Amino acid sequence: MSLFFMNFLNGISLGMLLFLISIGLTIIFGVLGVLNFAHGSLYMLGAYFCFQIVSLSHNFWGALILAPVVVALVGGVIESMLLRPVYGRDVSFQLLLTFGVLLVLDDAVRLIWGSGYHIVDPPPLLNGVVHLGGFTYPVYSLFILFLGPFIGLGLWAFFRFTLWGKKIRASSMDREMAAGIGINVNHLFTGVFMFGTWLAGVGGALAAPLRAIGPSMGEKIIIESFIVVVIGGLGSFPGAFLGAMILGLINAYGAQYLPKATMALPYILLAIILLTKPRGLLSKET
Amino acid sequence: MNGSARKKALLAFAALVLLGVLPFVVGTYSIMLITEIMIMGIFALSFNLLFGYTGLLSFGHAAFFGVSGYVTAFLLIHDFPSLLLALLLGTLAAALAAIVVGYFSVRLDEIYFAILTLGFGMMFYTLVHQWRSVTGGSDGLTGLVLPSLGIGKLSIDVSSPKSFYFIVAVFFIITILVLLRIVRSSFGLILMSIRENKERAAFTGINIRAYRLASFVISGFFAGVAGGLFAVFDRMASPSMLHWTASAEPVLMTVLGGAHVFFGPVIGAILFFFIEHVITKFTDIWMIFLGAILIPLVIFFPDGVLGTLMTRRKKMREARREGEE
Amino acid sequence: MKGAGFAKRGLVWGTLFTVILVLSLGGVAQAKKPIKIGSVYILSGFAATYGKFAKNGLTLAVEEINKAGGVLGRPFKVTFEDSRAKPPVALRAFRKLVFEEKVDALIGLDSSGVALSVVPVLKELKTPLIITHAATPDVTGKKCNKYAFRVSANLSQNVQVAARIAAKTGARKWTTIGPDYAFGHQTWEYFQKYLKKLNPKVAFMTTTAFPKIATEDYTPYITTIMNAKPDGVIISLWSGDLINFIRQAKKLGFFKGQFKVLMTLGAATEVLYALKDQMPTGIWVGTRYWFLANNSAVNKKFIKAYKRKYHVYPSYNAQNAYAAAYVLKAAIEKAGKVDKEAIVKALEGLEIEVPVGKIKIRAGDHQALLDVSWGKTAADPKYPIRILKPIVTFKGSEITPKVSETGCKR
Repeated sequence: MSLFFMNFLNGISLGMLLFLISIGLTIIFGVLGVLNFAHGSLYMLGAYFCFQIVSLSHNFWGALILAPVVVALVGGVIESMLLRPVYGRDVSFQLLLTFGVLLVLDDAVRLIWGSGYHIVDPPPLLNGVVHLGGFTYPVYSLFILFLGPFIGLGLWAFFRFTLWGKKIRASSMDREMAAGIGINVNHLFTGVFMFGTWLAGVGGALAAPLRAIGPSMGEKIIIESFIVVVIGGLGSFPGAFLGAMILGLINAYGAQYLPKATMALPYILLAIILLTKPRGLLSKET
Repeated sequence: MNGSARKKALLAFAALVLLGVLPFVVGTYSIMLITEIMIMGIFALSFNLLFGYTGLLSFGHAAFFGVSGYVTAFLLIHDFPSLLLALLLGTLAAALAAIVVGYFSVRLDEIYFAILTLGFGMMFYTLVHQWRSVTGGSDGLTGLVLPSLGIGKLSIDVSSPKSFYFIVAVFFIITILVLLRIVRSSFGLILMSIRENKERAAFTGINIRAYRLASFVISGFFAGVAGGLFAVFDRMASPSMLHWTASAEPVLMTVLGGAHVFFGPVIGAILFFFIEHVITKFTDIWMIFLGAILIPLVIFFPDGVLGTLMTRRKKMREARREGEE
Repeated sequence: MKGAGFAKRGLVWGTLFTVILVLSLGGVAQAKKPIKIGSVYILSGFAATYGKFAKNGLTLAVEEINKAGGVLGRPFKVTFEDSRAKPPVALRAFRKLVFEEKVDALIGLDSSGVALSVVPVLKELKTPLIITHAATPDVTGKKCNKYAFRVSANLSQNVQVAARIAAKTGARKWTTIGPDYAFGHQTWEYFQKYLKKLNPKVAFMTTTAFPKIATEDYTPYITTIMNAKPDGVIISLWSGDLINFIRQAKKLGFFKGQFKVLMTLGAATEVLYALKDQMPTGIWVGTRYWFLANNSAVNKKFIKAYKRKYHVYPSYNAQNAYAAAYVLKAAIEKAGKVDKEAIVKALEGLEIEVPVGKIKIRAGDHQALLDVSWGKTAADPKYPIRILKPIVTFKGSEITPKVSETGCKR
């Protein structure tokens, strides 16, 4: 029973991290109509920047604030210089272009930080463990577990109540109309892309104390994020949350109950959901 | 019109002569590289029947490539006597897999179709990766022993790069002829009308799912042809053949060359291998260079390299004609 | 306008021509034709650090050899290619090296899957290959081959040592955590086979954990294994996976001593450098070369030169590739000529001292007999990383199965 509960916590905290990364992906897709293959690489950049800042300043909190901002700046460059010419083209072009960006980022990271592995310590405040029943559980995982919904709610409030949030939602529904009522779509797109990459950066910086930071660490997470946003419903906020939780939980329980099939479980789940709800679980379209 | 047809025939003849002469003038490695380009060309062409002509972006096409590769390799490892028959069985297995995957997948569109096929592809990947007793697991099936190819009294040593080149060339040409025939038939026209406007096609009484499924299976069949040849070429079947990164390769080649011209995928395959070959020749940090070349190619060739060049030439010719008038 | 373009083009062609001329003349001037080595490792992706180490080690050895006058008066020249850990890519690289670069010998390979796919094709490439990392027993066993040699410890040698240490711990109930591919499963199978022979009373649990490669979150596996209450756990995770695992497991109290822990590749410097003082102490760890395991002059010279050039202690992959260059040199000198078949002959039964110790390449299966060291992790203020104390070393002849048992039939 307690093992069951432990794996529940494991699944949820893994899901929270996936949620942060997927939500950036889904926002970018919702507004810009671009499926960003390089999103995982931007997550990786977030982790590397976090590592760099921590090793210079020994301040994790500073790194958590600063690293995602730097990632967002990289995102701004990518959007305004590379993505802008391919809007409106077939989705395959955007995939191919962002795949090119992925290749460049992956190698650039290796040239800058070498091909070895790095680690980041959690801040002292979160470095301990708590005792839950017969088990110990890391405080940092609990921190992520609570931070996830917090960020989710913050985003929801932003889109619901602020002017910018409304502008973004308006543009995602109808680009021409948005331009017609005086929204500068170019600026908005850059802003949204930077926002999405900022979220990837936050995910990377938050993951840094949990993962070995190494080359290509974004390649796996990108496929998982694709699955999350698709089963949740592309462009849907609560959908991304639900999708991330489901994926996190099947990873955790799969390891416990179906160890031989864990590799295939996410894909089987994906197929079942898409075949029963072709637009994802919580999609607004039908 | 007549002139253009004659030009095309001339071009085809020149390409055939080139294919025939090349292995006698270039080195062993180049022969192998061209062989691989032709195999990947078959793979990319098969993918493009689905993508360019039917409007469905499959991200799991490596499944059929791999299934055929594994079946072929499995048979050859167990001393199957006939290479051609092994290839045929591998290809049929791929087509069978395509019927199953296609049956479920073609009901979806666009990105949902892409992600669903990716999911199915990765299920096949997991299967070969985990089924150690039959597929060899992560190690794959390696060290294929190639039976000699007997046609009548003629016996061909398949393991020689030159003779295998010609075998692949024959398959390559047959694939091109069959696929050309398909896309130019009324069946092909219907596929394209589905691509352009699904609703309108449905109104005219076309069973969209059936046509899409047919396209999917034909496409999976030819991906199987490529996969079987690839296993023979590399003397192995490895799980990496079925991974989603392998599915990305024909996508890359097709988009690079141009999805809306028949030979686009082939040009894409040539370009891709050429770029990679040149880059890895002078550096082992190949990713950053490949990326740096891919990005501008995507930006400046909105219809793929071959597609964009052809449109540009057409426009120039029209402009000249207008000038003359 | 047109004239300017022409002049520009002329200039470009002129420069190009001159460059080519100078280059080709340079080639003529250099009378000693280099001996070409083709080298294939993982140079990109999540395991790129292994290729990097091998490249470092091989480059260092070749520099030393060339400085000392080369081999038969000719310098070594290495061409590196990236295997990307994918068998078809590696095979393409091998074909390119043999048919286009016309290399005289091959050194390389990290991934066992790649090694198993490439080794059978060597019969067509007709070029000797010295494997320096890939550990699958099969390339010097069931799939052994005239042209394939290995100078690094293989899985069965390493696991044999693990079994001996495990037998001494007294732990009865064993389980495993290993990567979900051939390497992880084979480690567990060999471990059971060898330990059962040493101590028939041990039991092997059915609750095992095989997380897939590049798993991010190991906590479900860790809690499952801890919950099963074993006496001993053998861990065959490696690289970034091992680092992830150790950090997450430490938090969950995995190393508190309630069971014995053996890590077959825990003494890898890439892991130790990343973890530094977070590596738990008192854990039995294995490797394929430990830089402090022997005090020979050859080893000291290697460590000093490596540290000066790369500023870190050499990893096993660096040593193995370094050793391979010297093995090749010795073989060519023994053969007296640069000829592939002669090199193959000379490699069989070759004995040579390299940093890891004195090694002998068995003629029967082409596997090197070499000492394998394990140790317990310990802190030492003199080193930036955890070191091994005590170190136990087993003789290669003791821990290597007989040729007849390897399944190698040539």
